[in-house]
Amino acid sequence: MTRDQSRWTRQPSTAPSTLNRRKFLSVAGAGVAGGSLLTMLDARQAPAQIRGTSLRMLKWSHFVPAYDAWVDKFAKEWGDKNGVKVRVDHIPHLELPARYAAEFAAGGGHDLIHFAGQILTGQYYRHLVDLSDIATGLGRKYGGWMENAKSAGQVGGTWYGVPDFFIAIPLLWRKDLFDSVGRPAPKTWDDLRTAARLLKPKGKPTGMQFSHCNDANHNWRALMYSFGVKETDPSGQSVAIDSKEMREALRFAKAMYDEGMTPEVFSWDDASDNRFLASGVGCWIHDAISAFVTTKDTNPKVFEHTYVLDEAQGPVAKWNVGEPNVWAIWKFSKNIPAAKEFIQHISDNQKHAMTASRGYNMPFLRDQYKKPMPVLGADPKLSALQEQDKITAFFGHPGPMTPAAQEVLTTFIVPDMFTRVARGAAIEDTMKWGVGEIRRIYAKHKAS
Amino acid sequence: MAVSGRVGVLSWWRTPTARRYLFGYTLLAPAVLYVLLLVGVPFLFSLYLAMSDASVGAPVARFVGLENFQAALQSTAFYKALGNTLFFTVGAGILKGLLGTTLAFLLLRPFVGRKVVRALVVIPFTLPIAVSVLGWKWMFDSQFSVVNWALSRLWLIGTYGSPDWPVWLGQPNLALMSVMFVNVWRGFPFSAIVLLAGLTSVPPEIVEAAKVDGASFLQRFRLVIVPMIAPILFVGAAFDTVFTLSDLSIVYLLTNGGPDGATEILPTLAYNTGIRAGALGRGAAISLFLFPLLLPAMILLLRTLRRREH
Repeated sequence: MTRDQSRWTRQPSTAPSTLNRRKFLSVAGAGVAGGSLLTMLDARQAPAQIRGTSLRMLKWSHFVPAYDAWVDKFAKEWGDKNGVKVRVDHIPHLELPARYAAEFAAGGGHDLIHFAGQILTGQYYRHLVDLSDIATGLGRKYGGWMENAKSAGQVGGTWYGVPDFFIAIPLLWRKDLFDSVGRPAPKTWDDLRTAARLLKPKGKPTGMQFSHCNDANHNWRALMYSFGVKETDPSGQSVAIDSKEMREALRFAKAMYDEGMTPEVFSWDDASDNRFLASGVGCWIHDAISAFVTTKDTNPKVFEHTYVLDEAQGPVAKWNVGEPNVWAIWKFSKNIPAAKEFIQHISDNQKHAMTASRGYNMPFLRDQYKKPMPVLGADPKLSALQEQDKITAFFGHPGPMTPAAQEVLTTFIVPDMFTRVARGAAIEDTMKWGVGEIRRIYAKHKAS
Repeated sequence: MAVSGRVGVLSWWRTPTARRYLFGYTLLAPAVLYVLLLVGVPFLFSLYLAMSDASVGAPVARFVGLENFQAALQSTAFYKALGNTLFFTVGAGILKGLLGTTLAFLLLRPFVGRKVVRALVVIPFTLPIAVSVLGWKWMFDSQFSVVNWALSRLWLIGTYGSPDWPVWLGQPNLALMSVMFVNVWRGFPFSAIVLLAGLTSVPPEIVEAAKVDGASFLQRFRLVIVPMIAPILFVGAAFDTVFTLSDLSIVYLLTNGGPDGATEILPTLAYNTGIRAGALGRGAAISLFLFPLLLPAMILLLRTLRRREH
């Protein structure tokens, strides 16, 4: 195992030990001291050294425009309070990787950056500031990080990125249509398949993207993981997709396509399913709650009958595949102290951020799942999402988001495997092709 | 002997011929430097990347020889992208040539509002590519396509959801045709303008003389006009080939190479591998496969052009 490979190996967790009186007193004492510290941290003031400086940050243009407006205002207010001139740039999320490559090559650019969907912590960690102090502090303060958060922020046990939020991709289904064919509220992938089979002949099919877009990557992975498919081993080093579970997932997807979908799913982009639901045609879709929120405005009648399921149960497990968002700071950033202060500040205000995003931004920190959560807790249709921390995985699962896993994602091999089978290719031929391509990518990354 | 040779060289430098050469090359130097800096250096850099294991996070990398090229040749996605690229470039080139020629002849004839029409036809070429492609994305939408809506109203296809409702960007052959169509739509005004510039430079009396001699329209075009405007046609064709072969935006915005690589071309594969996945070395190697495709075409065009000049 090379030095870089060993960086991706998960750190073993510390085993619990027996508690004696001495240990109890020291832990209790530390707890009291920690509590006082937390109170102090709550009222923290940014260090004087950042006063009179400027901070440029780069984020993506959020799917909820109100959130961008909130971030801009939030950053400005923080800047005004601390004497920092703040500028927030927003660009489409698909353009971020090219922008970061350019900034890195030039050795200059934004002081604070944000990885969205494509997590490049593993690509750039040698050139990112160690943020372990902030991440560890946040973990302590808010009840610890979700296990999968480490995959987004850590390389070799060091935090080079601070997880900000992730986007959940739940199921949005039409209760009136399910009722019309005598189907109860769906709980499993089988329930969804059955409903689609019954509703397609009535002109109400379902749809999941079989194309080259983000949603195709998330949706089919959710199905795969729920069928027990592992993309790699937990270290992220060995490809594990060549399994009977993957064959089962492909078989199931083919049946679901034949019975419940139309060929338009081969052309869909990330927003097509939103429109499909809002048009009143779709009986269920697998998408972020933006589809739910926008339907409220575009087709209130459909919205009235649309319900949200956190995720469908598969034969083996229940996994939702989220889209992570992570803060990071270049080592060549001109204002590292201010960038770190801002990460701390916005992380401490996660509730406001979640409200501003209309419940779209899901937290990575466990205590932030205390019910009622902002927005989600107040809406009975969305309240099921308040336990998303327990069922969320990210690409590469159960391994971390390594550069190899990133390449498999960006070259759309997984959606292409599902596309081939849906179009009638033999499962074994598809497996041979897909596994071959994935193994070739992992081999290249191991060799480099 | 050696001394006399050196003296000979030195004395040659003092001759008027040498001074003329020196003066000529000095005048040429800025242009050579310009080309070297803007073309040579990036080309050599991409060659260096293609022969290294560079990634976006580690651009200083070790030499791996031809490994990246081998890796590309082992991937089935690469062959699909290569085939699509050739089909896309040749197909779009032919269509742009045909449509551009037709449009140029139409615009050559005097009619009321010709100036306005001439200005309007270049709009597709002048529109920002993102805007025009997004417009086409809507027109090719699987559910709300205005094209399908019109065809359906004309009873040429069924209604939404029926088996003969075309999914422009979802059916492999249709998807490739659709991205090619957008490229043609965007590029043929350029071909027309280039051809129009050539046509207006042909003295009308020569064409009239050919007409008097009994030459048909096609004969006049093939035997009189084309030979006279050949240099312009060659330069236009060279530009168009380069633009089409390296066109990333249309495919990236419409299909991103999908479904299942049906519209994948070398530029999108190189971008997704080199930039989005971060494997700069392999991305550069894929993009360099465009070079052996372009080089013979360019040499052929430029050589023919030079021969005609002589």
